[in-house]
Amino acid sequence: MTEQGVAGSFRDPSGFLFIKDGVLYRQVNSVYRDHYDHLMNSGLYDNLVKLSLLVRHIEASASISISQPAYKVIKPDPIKFISYPYEWCFSQMKDAALAVLEIEKVSLGYDMTLKDCPAYNMQFSKGKALLIDTLSFEIYAENKPWSAYRQFCQHFLAPLALMSYRDICLNQMSRVYLDGIPLDLAAKLLPSKARFNLNLFMHIYMHAASQDKYTDRAPDKKALSRRISKTSLLGLIDSLEHGVRTLKWRPGEDDWYRYYSDVSSCPDEYQDQKKQLVSDWLDKIKPGSVWDLGANTGKFSRIACEKGIFTLSLDSDPACVEGNYLMDSGPGKELMLPLVIDLTNPSPGIGWDNTERTTLWQRGHAETVLALALVHHLAITNNLPLDRIASFFRKICNSLIIEFVPKNDPNTQKLLSSRADIFPDYTREMFEEQFSKFFKIISSSPIKHSGRILYLMK
Amino acid sequence: MYIDPGTGSLIFQILLAGAVGFIYVLKMHWLKVKSFFNGKFARLRRTND
Repeated sequence: MTEQGVAGSFRDPSGFLFIKDGVLYRQVNSVYRDHYDHLMNSGLYDNLVKLSLLVRHIEASASISISQPAYKVIKPDPIKFISYPYEWCFSQMKDAALAVLEIEKVSLGYDMTLKDCPAYNMQFSKGKALLIDTLSFEIYAENKPWSAYRQFCQHFLAPLALMSYRDICLNQMSRVYLDGIPLDLAAKLLPSKARFNLNLFMHIYMHAASQDKYTDRAPDKKALSRRISKTSLLGLIDSLEHGVRTLKWRPGEDDWYRYYSDVSSCPDEYQDQKKQLVSDWLDKIKPGSVWDLGANTGKFSRIACEKGIFTLSLDSDPACVEGNYLMDSGPGKELMLPLVIDLTNPSPGIGWDNTERTTLWQRGHAETVLALALVHHLAITNNLPLDRIASFFRKICNSLIIEFVPKNDPNTQKLLSSRADIFPDYTREMFEEQFSKFFKIISSSPIKHSGRILYLMK
Repeated sequence: MYIDPGTGSLIFQILLAGAVGFIYVLKMHWLKVKSFFNGKFARLRRTND
């Protein structure tokens, strides 16, 4: 029997996550008893689960608790893949923020409130944001302010404002600032026109000024003891919700269609044949999961989803991931998780001991990887030798559907247009030789109307 | 609570509470009035049809 605590779950005295014999549990400590009972008995838990805002759980035997004093042990429904705020596109962050505010609104109706709201407590499951920390709730103390207000502004409002007003890539700051972006920094980085957004002016600029004022001062006990009614709290939530809803981001024309211009030189027959091959090979392998690397807007990821396969759809372009996430629901959409990931610089381990938030690869293993229209970007743009690319894929998956894009392909030529061709080994023969050191090539098929070749490898 | 809510954040929230609470009450009343008149006009339209 093996048990171990989950590295990132240690701050909250109410309880923590642990894994026993490969199953994830959450221990509910005795100190949290009243809050837990209220959550379950008041109807709040049932309501939030029905609204798909809170993860479902079942109660396990308290005897499997791994420390004392434990009240209960619960087994939450597992999330298919844990993702972090710096991997989300704009609309994913916005939906997560709105979900937090909805949860707080509903909770107040049951005399409960969120005691914290870090972005890490929100995860995507079946295409929607939901809260995974069942112990985030506490009984609402009459007339007390919302203790999670600072966290909401730093974890959600600030990143969204920076993405909307300054640059979409600023969500990467969440990787550096584990407890959300400091509001004074956000205020400095935002353009002056952001001040004219009343909600941002209040919740970022004035909020930052207040934080700054009280940083090194003794707490003003008289001010802190003033009461704040539930109506005012609802007003605060409403103001934050309005602030979040008004933040928008639309990718520029160039971003949306960068990839489509890449393949516009390839006729429809190319796309159709490629789709058919991917579909047939997925039927042959029947993987439990697919990771589509360099997925763009998820055209091929959808093929896997429609077969009932959970698919991670990864691309480094936030515009593509945004387009993917917002695409109309089709069959299998609930099985897709699009994320912003730069394959050449994927999410590292961060936080205390570099284990609080884990690397991308530590959070899951791909049964099958799709690497379509990708290898030329890795080999040419990023100067990665083919053997390194092959050994990398070997490490991360059981089977691989990969497209070799030869040097004479118009897109590869574009990559070489402004640089010296220092890639004498980038040939079909070398590609097959290097990959054969790590994989068995099961099948290969040239794609008509292009010089490209699709391979199935195991 | 185990997190630090931040003194500056708590005080700011308390200062803001009155204003946001007032605006919220106004908004809720406005929505009630709007819904009342929408209901009335819908009934009128149904009677006239």
